[in-house]
Amino acid sequence: MLAVQNLKKSYCASKATYEVLKDVSLSVNKGEFVGVMGPSGSGKTTLLNCISCYIPVDSGSIRLEEIELTTLTEDELATMRNKKLGFVFQDFMLMDGLTVRDNIMLPRIISRNTDKSMEDAADQLCDVFGIEVIKDKYPAEISGGEKQRTAVARALINEPLLILADEPTGNLDSRSSRAVIDTFLQARDSFGATIFMATHDSFAASFCDRVIILRDGKIYCEILQLKKTRNEFQDKLLNAIRIMGEANAE
Amino acid sequence: MKSLSQVHAALRHKNRRHYVLLAGCCFFSVLLITAYVCMMRSPTVLNVLPEGGDSRKQVMMIFVLTVIGCGVFTTYASGLFFRYKSRETGIFIALGASRRQLKNQLTRELLIISLGSCSLGALLGTPLTWLIWRVFRLVLVDTEEKALTFNAQAYLLALAFSVFVIAMLFFMLSHFIRRINVMDVVYESRKTESIREVPRSYGLLGIILLAGGVLLGYLTPSFCIKVLHWYPPEGLTSITYLPALLGLYMVLLHTVVNGWRRDKNRYKNIIPSSMMKFQGRQTVRNMMVIAMLVAGAYFASFYVPMMSTGATNDFNTRTVDYAFSYREDQDMLTETEIRQMASEEGVTIKSYAEQSSAVLGVDGWEYVENTSNLGTTYTAEHKELQRSEVFLPESSYNALTGDFVDVAPGTIMAVYDDDGSNRRLTTKDVTLVTNPITKQVLHVTPVENVLRNSMLFGYKVLDDTDYALITEGLTDEWLEAKVFFNVENDMETYAFAKRLFYVIVDKSSLEVAVYDGYDPVVKILTEEKGENYFLDREHQEAYGYELLNYSQREASNFRLFWKYMPQFRVLDEADYIKTHAVFLMLFIFIAIICFAAVIVIVYTRSLTIALTNAQVYDDLRHLGASNEYLWHTVRSQISKVFFVPILTGTIVICTFYMMILYFNDGSFTNSEFAGILNCLAVVAAISALLYGVYRLTLRKVCAMLRIHKAYSTKHT
Repeated sequence: MLAVQNLKKSYCASKATYEVLKDVSLSVNKGEFVGVMGPSGSGKTTLLNCISCYIPVDSGSIRLEEIELTTLTEDELATMRNKKLGFVFQDFMLMDGLTVRDNIMLPRIISRNTDKSMEDAADQLCDVFGIEVIKDKYPAEISGGEKQRTAVARALINEPLLILADEPTGNLDSRSSRAVIDTFLQARDSFGATIFMATHDSFAASFCDRVIILRDGKIYCEILQLKKTRNEFQDKLLNAIRIMGEANAE
Repeated sequence: MKSLSQVHAALRHKNRRHYVLLAGCCFFSVLLITAYVCMMRSPTVLNVLPEGGDSRKQVMMIFVLTVIGCGVFTTYASGLFFRYKSRETGIFIALGASRRQLKNQLTRELLIISLGSCSLGALLGTPLTWLIWRVFRLVLVDTEEKALTFNAQAYLLALAFSVFVIAMLFFMLSHFIRRINVMDVVYESRKTESIREVPRSYGLLGIILLAGGVLLGYLTPSFCIKVLHWYPPEGLTSITYLPALLGLYMVLLHTVVNGWRRDKNRYKNIIPSSMMKFQGRQTVRNMMVIAMLVAGAYFASFYVPMMSTGATNDFNTRTVDYAFSYREDQDMLTETEIRQMASEEGVTIKSYAEQSSAVLGVDGWEYVENTSNLGTTYTAEHKELQRSEVFLPESSYNALTGDFVDVAPGTIMAVYDDDGSNRRLTTKDVTLVTNPITKQVLHVTPVENVLRNSMLFGYKVLDDTDYALITEGLTDEWLEAKVFFNVENDMETYAFAKRLFYVIVDKSSLEVAVYDGYDPVVKILTEEKGENYFLDREHQEAYGYELLNYSQREASNFRLFWKYMPQFRVLDEADYIKTHAVFLMLFIFIAIICFAAVIVIVYTRSLTIALTNAQVYDDLRHLGASNEYLWHTVRSQISKVFFVPILTGTIVICTFYMMILYFNDGSFTNSEFAGILNCLAVVAAISALLYGVYRLTLRKVCAMLRIHKAYSTKHT
């Protein structure tokens, strides 16, 4: 469903050019929960920002279903972000002035698709993610885990093709992290959502179907879950990262 | 909530303080500027401020400073608003809102804010001016002449400033929306400004540039005029102050980034210093504006103490209680009539002297001007008959003053004032004296030593024989009687003084209703060239001078500028405020406007610092910082925002002011010393007021940051 081909991206700083993504190619299938791991500076967030079209790419192609994202106009991109993509950020990015329920409905309000089904969908998402009791509260009145579950519900309200999550558990304790991961799993299982998540956290990544490990802007390896237990999969991820660290040291 | 407008309404409600801050800043800026221009362009003020005079230039200079200050301030407030808006806008864009949608929404919001606040500011500017003026009239002096009238032109200037504010807001909006990198927008509120390394030499270099720039700026015009014989355009000489501005910037930058105390208390103040550093450019820009406004405000504030000290000194040093002069062709009061009037008013005249003086032509330098694109140049040409001076024979001088001056035949002595403060206004270099009727010429040699008598300042004294010779054949219109007398209990003779003044005015013909600069010899010379004399009653209105009217004898314009205005100590002292009210009230008003701008800016800046750094204070709390530590940190930050620019502005303007006084005549007179002391008293009083504002602001900021009130109260 998502196909990234030969993606290159570099930044200029103090007259020097740094290549952050070097010819990255990957694909994500419908209903798949894919994680991206790698050390700081490996290009995880840049890859996510390129797929989100938040930043322009130097070269390469990003196709979501049959749509080439890199050639879209400003207005087409806005529609794409609203209807086909869902976003979950590390620091939640909720509107402080809106209630939890209003925040969830915001993508529909922006697209002026505000019929009765919008409220029903928001209420259903609140139910599914266990945030019904706080739906009339403001972000300042709820916990970090609840904020992130609200953000996931918001990302799902337009039934997007792909949810992009950037370090969604980065600001959360282990209990809240688990609750957020559960919302992703529920989203995949209940709504058939496709999730692409950048993370540092091997625990969060161990719930993915597949994890892509980046090193210095290139794909170092891909590890499949292949019906292993979660602990085994996490060990495999940690082992891969350890080997990569040793290779770096050499 | 079902529509985007409802969402925006909810967000506006939640974040209303940001809207209030922006609207408040626009409102205050336009209000202050409107009030200023209403006053500056008021016919009440313009009638009193001489065209092209220093007072008008000073008013305009401080106006420019205020406009710059308010302009930078509103730009700063708009920057804060867009910084707040960036997060909200970033989320909308991330969720699929189009830029057009957001631009339309923001345009609507900004239109309402800017038009509403600017219109309100412009509308209330006039009532504010009227109100302050009304208070002045109630407190100081209230006459019909002082009623404030408004000029429609003022509103054009206020409108121009409002247009600037609105245009600036929309320019910033357009720039804000154009930024295509969504991530930058999303993380804008977390972005900090970085400041480049500032060499420690900036401190000393800044001081040198500041001092040198001020000297250069002040001395360049007189150098151009005196040495190069060139009147450069004012804009050109203003450029010479640029090194001073650069120096001020460097001093403030060094203060904010490096601090003056090397390594001392480095760890104690590490948090406030680092917070100030990371808002470096913005902080220094604000400080520049505050420092310049403080300087302008004090410059206006010094006008009143300097003027009143000078006047008090003048009244105290007058050697006679009553003095007046009149042209001898006027049917003026005789000594008997004056004594009769005094007797009717219960006033005892102790001594009385009346002497005749003569208006004679003298030689001098005439400046022939040539105007080109680079300003006006002049060549000085010595003329045997250039202007007139008033002459006394030595015996008359002695009779009037009680001195025993003996002027040698063939010489001439100039009379200066007692402390020499006005000596630049006269000259002692007269070598030829001409009788304007007979055209007879007397060659004289100027005496180096001058006579000192403030009552006869500017007069020239000749040997009796020379005087008799040169004045032979003069008609009465070229002769002026000078009357001096003293009375018992001078300060209780106001009624007599007033009556005498009125009678003198009533007995004067229209021929002598002329300005003090009127020179009959210059009039003849000008008319000989076939030109009109600008101070001639027939032509002065065409040159922009209001006709002096005897029925307006109480008006400031009449009492300040009538050539034959009597000098009665009791009258001048009692009516001083009334006569100079427009000047005094104008400069007090300007000071109020500038200080109001300073207070609004430092208060807003302090509050926004608290808001933007609230997270840092929370983090410090989490790291275990005590209330005491947090309070010291806040105090250090707020005190820097307040005191660095205010102190800098105060020191710069005090030094500049003293420099002006010194360079006027190369020394400080007693009157100037007294004036400086009074100015310092004003500085102390205003500093106390600003300190009060600082304390209130500190308390407010501590409350906003939830820093323990008991502690902060105990220690403030």
